[in-house]
Amino acid sequence: MSVGHIARGFEESGISTVVIAVEPFLKRLEIMSLPRTLLTDNLIGRVLGSPHDTSYQRKVLEKAVKLLSSADKNGTVEHI
Amino acid sequence: MSENTKTLETFEEFRKSFFYGSRSDMSFKFLDHLSDEQGADFLQKLFRDVITSIDIGDTDLLKQTVLEGQAAAHAHPDTFSYSEGTFAPFTVNPADAKFTMLTSSGHYPAYKDPEPLGVQEMSQSEAERRIFDFLKEKPVLSEIPFSISPDELRVRHGGYDIRASLEDPNVTFPWQRMNELQEDGVIGRLTENGYSFIGACSQKRLMKDVIPEWIRLMKDNGVDGAILIPV
Repeated sequence: MSVGHIARGFEESGISTVVIAVEPFLKRLEIMSLPRTLLTDNLIGRVLGSPHDTSYQRKVLEKAVKLLSSADKNGTVEHI
Repeated sequence: MSENTKTLETFEEFRKSFFYGSRSDMSFKFLDHLSDEQGADFLQKLFRDVITSIDIGDTDLLKQTVLEGQAAAHAHPDTFSYSEGTFAPFTVNPADAKFTMLTSSGHYPAYKDPEPLGVQEMSQSEAERRIFDFLKEKPVLSEIPFSISPDELRVRHGGYDIRASLEDPNVTFPWQRMNELQEDGVIGRLTENGYSFIGACSQKRLMKDVIPEWIRLMKDNGVDGAILIPV
């Protein structure tokens, strides 16, 4: 919820955002009507996967950057 | 109390004890949000999958089962819902843009403890015990230089299982990976600091008092794009 409010505030002020979140939060994020969301299939508290999985962490962030620039409308959700 | 008069714990009480109760567990506190039937089904499946995972030497099945439980518990509608979305087009090439990162993971520099609730050097266990006090509080933003060394980075949050973040902060605050994206030219520049706060906070105070301040901070830093990570 907190980050959803921040994303909405930033976007309203012209700052583009992408939210990276775990899939269990999908329903809660959907009702926040966020612009861009990248979902990871990880447990809560492990958004970027297992500790020290640097290649996966990098992959998630690269996809988030790509989503930031490729999304052309609100409500764009992608999975990794 | 004699053994004969000892009150038996109900299954509902057992489930709820994982939510900041006698069996408090940040990874399984969601049992509180399931019905008795859902909780029983979840535990039965979990027990079965423990053995299957041992048999096949793969924990993916266990992870999937816990994920399903967490998703079921978070499927309920929340207080805030919006019918209209917001969208700021990202018109800059990422390789030329200025990025920042903000997480609700509760990270902070060792040399600048935000001292939540006015407590110096609050422990993780106290943060969990006082989660309902946190939910009334105005959130405090920790500024964390992207150049910070791992031994200077701390985490404390009474709302999630921080064990993975203690082992590798990049799991919830991927500052080292963000630095690599900058070094490799995937993104143009990073702000001097990344940001983190404890997401378990007063939503009204966050929206009314805090977000406008944070927007000004981002504007002052010339941020084009923000990577936001809730936990």
